[in-house]
Amino acid sequence: MLPGILELGNQLSQFLTPKYILDILWSVQLGIIVGMLPGLTATMGVALMTTLTYKYATDRAVLILICMYVGAIYGGSRTAILINIPGTPANAATTVDGYPLAKQGRAGEAMGIATTGSFLGSLFGMLMLAIFTPLLGNFALKFFSFEYFWLTIFGIVICGTLTAPKDPLKGWISGFFGLFVATIGMEGMHAYRRFTFGNVDLSGGISLLPAMIGIFGFSEILIVMKRPIIEVVESKIEKVIPHPAEILAYWGTIVRSGIIGTIIGAIPGVGEDIGAWVSYDFAKKASKHPEEYGKGSLEGLMAAETGNNAAVGGAIIPVLSLAVPGSAPAAVLLGAMLIHGIRPGPLLMIENPEFIYQVVAMLLLASCAMFVLGLLFIKTFIKILLIPPQRLMPVVFSLCVIGAYALSSRIFDIWVMAVFGLIGYAMKEMDYPVAPAVLGIILGDLLDKNLRRSLILTKGNIIPLFIRPISLILVLFIFFTIVSQTKWFKKIWESLVRSKKK
Amino acid sequence: MANSQRMNKADFITSLLLTFFGLGVFILSLHMPTFKEVGANPYSAPGIVPSALGFILFILGITLLIRSISRKGYQIQLSLNGFLFLYRKQSTRRFLIALFLSIIYVLLLGKVNYFILTYFYIFLFILFYEFNFKKKIILQKKVVIYAVLEATIIAHVLPLFFNIYFWLDYLRTLSYI
Repeated sequence: MLPGILELGNQLSQFLTPKYILDILWSVQLGIIVGMLPGLTATMGVALMTTLTYKYATDRAVLILICMYVGAIYGGSRTAILINIPGTPANAATTVDGYPLAKQGRAGEAMGIATTGSFLGSLFGMLMLAIFTPLLGNFALKFFSFEYFWLTIFGIVICGTLTAPKDPLKGWISGFFGLFVATIGMEGMHAYRRFTFGNVDLSGGISLLPAMIGIFGFSEILIVMKRPIIEVVESKIEKVIPHPAEILAYWGTIVRSGIIGTIIGAIPGVGEDIGAWVSYDFAKKASKHPEEYGKGSLEGLMAAETGNNAAVGGAIIPVLSLAVPGSAPAAVLLGAMLIHGIRPGPLLMIENPEFIYQVVAMLLLASCAMFVLGLLFIKTFIKILLIPPQRLMPVVFSLCVIGAYALSSRIFDIWVMAVFGLIGYAMKEMDYPVAPAVLGIILGDLLDKNLRRSLILTKGNIIPLFIRPISLILVLFIFFTIVSQTKWFKKIWESLVRSKKK
Repeated sequence: MANSQRMNKADFITSLLLTFFGLGVFILSLHMPTFKEVGANPYSAPGIVPSALGFILFILGITLLIRSISRKGYQIQLSLNGFLFLYRKQSTRRFLIALFLSIIYVLLLGKVNYFILTYFYIFLFILFYEFNFKKKIILQKKVVIYAVLEATIIAHVLPLFFNIYFWLDYLRTLSYI
């Protein structure tokens, strides 16, 4: 415990220089603006910033990306409160109570609660990150090919289920499609070119960043341009800084949402939006005034914002300990770490243990900057929301082009961005979640290598894949996740619940 | 109700595409070499994982197909009036303009200088949405001036800023596009 705190203090002191403080301030503020603007998501912000900062030193680049991530997840709350459109998907639950509050003329109060909730949620996530990353990392040292294979399948199935709760089949299709995309190009064992059809550019595979910029950038541009012109609610912005007694009144909600947000964030690929919804749902069930939810409940707003920002820290836990992202922006963060020579995963604890505390320190500084900047300059930056989309979106698209091109200087990557943008648009229009597809693209290589390694070890016998203790637990989880979504299971479950009540 | 019916129809078409796609992936994967002839372990064959994924996508496609058929998603009626109604919708037009300009921009990258192309992309994007072609230019000079300014800043000044602040040689690399 004490060595950890000392290491954290040491890392913090390294970042408290004018150069780093300036980086923290501008990147958090830029993140807030990115989050605020509909059509610009946290994932896209982090992806574009990855391409811009790749010549920076590792600590400086990762610091900027984490600041952008934290700022963007929080920034979306302003749009959710003022125009009833979540700035990022993570703020969808914020609209439920934030917008009614703005309509009641309490936009300032709502933004103050959202800022405080986001700050406390981020701190909670940071604490969990510091505690659980080393524990999970040490546990993951027991993982072999068998466990990694099942972990990827588990990630896809659980992510598909949670990101498409109304239609998990579409979530699973999205995830397995992502896994397929990852198999395109030269494979790692025999250098055989799969599904390239003689195309030299495809031999290198589908790069993650251009694909993600397309899915989260270009597709969003098309969606925003399709939408009618949005109007900002005219609400006086007063009393932004909440009274400490107001915050203390919601301490139970804050702790509950912090725990839920972190756990949901740590589940592969699920992300901040589900973290916010689940936190909101639990807060409503536990509330003394559930009838106020949806009509402008400060408690509901607090739960949603605490939940989504706690998920940021949660999403980084599996990135560092398993090299498996907890959310889409965390997936880009994972990619950025790899670009900068950091190898996240169980071995990080042995090879580079101080990096974990470095990330914790970064998250702490980003959260503090977000809190301060969130309460200041509110009126100034809200004017950005008045920029018409037709003036903003071509700028965003030109940034998408630069972002896709920058890392490898290949025109092909710009085409990848455009194609995945169109695929992402079609998926969103037909209610397919895109997060499992992204997770699939990231985990595809892990699945491919580990399944083949396992089969080589067992000489083609698949039984050992099922009987190792950790594998068996993962298999059971996968099985129950799938079965629990079937109609007959739901019928049996409902009849069991009914008979228990009788 | 109408929306869910539209979704069932979309699901029907998607399921057919997915089923054939999964089958195609499965067949192509089975034809991949095993490298047995060079002494490689047969379980390291590159087709193992894609064939499994192709099979899973095929099964998921069939499941979606059965579900969409049970919800009468196969009752697809295409008519010219339907297309015209869709085309006349303001949202469709806004979408098509953005799509058309962006795709043309991407296709011309590499053939036309980046700075010139980006300038015209941004300029035209703003004009297509804000300029009223029935009105005189003089009456809309603010729109034109704004479009020129924004296009200049984004196409020329922004890469210069990236060059200075992020130490990226964008001015040189982008000029190769």
